[in-house]
Amino acid sequence: MSVSHHLADETLQDYAAGSLSSPMETLVACHLTVCQHCRDRASIADHIGGSLFEEFEAVDVSLSASDLLAQANVMPAHSAPSASPAANPVSGVPRPLARLLNDPLEELDWKRIAPGIKQYNLSDQHRRFGAFKLLHLAPGVVLSAHSHNDRELTYVVKGSYQDEVGRFKAGDIADLDGDVAHQPVVDTDEPCIALIATHSPVRYTGMFGKIMQPFIGI
Amino acid sequence: MNTSVPTQPKKRTDAAAELRKRMGDNLVAIGRDRDEVAFADVYSYYAGRVKSFLMGKGMVEEIAEELTQEIMLTVWRRAESYDPAKAAASTWLFTIARNRRIDYLRGNSRIEVELDDEMLDIETTENDSQAKFVDDAQDSIRLKNALEKLPQEQRQVMHLSYFRGQSHGAIAKWLDLPIGTVKSRIRLAMQAVRVSLQNEEEALSEPSND
Repeated sequence: MSVSHHLADETLQDYAAGSLSSPMETLVACHLTVCQHCRDRASIADHIGGSLFEEFEAVDVSLSASDLLAQANVMPAHSAPSASPAANPVSGVPRPLARLLNDPLEELDWKRIAPGIKQYNLSDQHRRFGAFKLLHLAPGVVLSAHSHNDRELTYVVKGSYQDEVGRFKAGDIADLDGDVAHQPVVDTDEPCIALIATHSPVRYTGMFGKIMQPFIGI
Repeated sequence: MNTSVPTQPKKRTDAAAELRKRMGDNLVAIGRDRDEVAFADVYSYYAGRVKSFLMGKGMVEEIAEELTQEIMLTVWRRAESYDPAKAAASTWLFTIARNRRIDYLRGNSRIEVELDDEMLDIETTENDSQAKFVDDAQDSIRLKNALEKLPQEQRQVMHLSYFRGQSHGAIAKWLDLPIGTVKSRIRLAMQAVRVSLQNEEEALSEPSND
């Protein structure tokens, strides 16, 4: 997969610091799956955390090492709610996204929200916490021009689109700052499927967009 | 050059390198032999730092203490998965503590790349000239030197982000700065570290003595 749009340094740093929401982490992990370049940069961000960790002032802990080991036999091993292999792996989709899907992309329960635009919501939270969804855009669809309050990540799952920033193809990530206004256009005869996460609702800059916002909800 | 950045005597760099090697060796010994002496050494260096990290991120002491014990037990139980060629002991500990905190707060694990993913891209061409973290001992020193040479304002935002549980937006509010300034300081810091890993000559030289 040839990738030409990458994650911003500050996003990789936020990811390493553990400050991103799980939708944002999903987008980052999808791109990292298909992009060795960003995986290398992400690993440097981890090493920075490790190096700064050494400068820390230690505080007192109540147990000694030998007390802890004595308890080790009676304390259950912590196991993170482990991600089981996707029951029905969706091929052509990075695993961090595939785990959230029960059906192949085209068979998802898409909701039509505007001519040529369908969405599949992945968030169980209120819209004011930000969006997390797949968008299915028909060829030729032009989204309303919009910007965001904080951060928007878009991962192209299939197809491509073009906007003021450039052309985005499968595997690319658009890592936009809040002040960038853009108007994506699906630029081939193939539909474009994109995964989107925002930290806060977008602001539409045109009148049509203001009316559309409650429906599209990105 | 920002003169407010303290210069680091060579002795301190050597001591840090020596400590790093010892901790890496300890983890290997724990993984291989369940070496309790090695674990005691790791514990005495890291347990208080792990707890301090969790409390800095806003956890109350009681919970921080409990999670610290779990994290140190994870170190004991999973040390065989530590690969000294890939990361310094501190990086390994930091990622375990970070992930356990996320897991505790959210109830689901940090979402990461899965290395057996069929979509995983492994670059086969060598024309990617960007910096990589390869040789642990050498690169750890380069990286540490680069961090020490950062302007104070960049070190500050990096510390707040990694160790004070703050989003970039919250850091901006806290420091009374535009968020763009915070992000650009983080960007500059990340770039400086990458450059240091690329440029051996420059990075291995001691921080300049003004």
